[in-house]
Amino acid sequence: MSLDESSKVTRMIILGPAANISQPELIRKLHMMELPLTIKSTCYGAVVNGEESVVNKAVEQARNLDYCNIFTKDRGFPPGDPRRCRAKRGGAREGFHQLEKEFELLGFVSEALEHPKKVSLKKPTKVSVDTFKKICKGVEE
Amino acid sequence: MKIAIFPPNSLILADLVERKGHEALVLQKEIRKRVTDVEIDSPPLNITEEEPIKGLKYAAIEVPSGVRGRMAIFGPLIEAAEAAIIMEDAPFGFGCIGCARTNELSMFCLRKRGIPLLELHYPTTKEETMEVVNKINTFLDGLGKEGESNG
Repeated sequence: MSLDESSKVTRMIILGPAANISQPELIRKLHMMELPLTIKSTCYGAVVNGEESVVNKAVEQARNLDYCNIFTKDRGFPPGDPRRCRAKRGGAREGFHQLEKEFELLGFVSEALEHPKKVSLKKPTKVSVDTFKKICKGVEE
Repeated sequence: MKIAIFPPNSLILADLVERKGHEALVLQKEIRKRVTDVEIDSPPLNITEEEPIKGLKYAAIEVPSGVRGRMAIFGPLIEAAEAAIIMEDAPFGFGCIGCARTNELSMFCLRKRGIPLLELHYPTTKEETMEVVNKINTFLDGLGKEGESNG
């Protein structure tokens, strides 16, 4: 492991289910930024690795492509690290199942960010028999 | 502000915190120090025998070394936190937070700190998710105002 490696940071860019941009488009846009980054194309979006200021700049620009539908998070291991990479180990990468679980909610999170509104968590209750009878009588009359 | 999140590796929490301009204290940053350090003793392992010793600060010697090893990583994050968001009942596929006792201890340490704290439950439906996002955004906006008035 080189000395440079320890000063670099890695971030995952994840496309939400309602994103207006496709994964290849995201990769192309990241390359077009012409920043000194290692970019890895993945099924959920991309992984970028480089100096912290450069990575933050790339993430900021990527987020602006579709503000409410692009999510990012830090990653400890650099892209393609043999200790984590699926190609070397087989099976799902650690963290994949978590991402899969959170991806189920990303659509709702995007919607909440795009159109914030108050919601009620009270479940509708059952109507009592007496109330129901009164309603029925009202309808018959 | 530095905001601790629990689960400390949550994508949704970390992303929402960063959107509001705060710094999310995520687990990956601590892990990165341990896996990209050139002086690491045994490269495939990110926990050395030093970690359970450091974990003694947070848990007694009778506590399993796994808990102490994890606390050596979570501990500095909890200590650096200026506010915290706890989301309970996260699915246990959440990677390294599969240890229930460490989770209990981490949440206890966060609550004991006396910092502004938001406690939530992991959402499962659309309504719950919207409520969680609203609560987090309101909490984070409030923190910004507190910081300005104090500063």
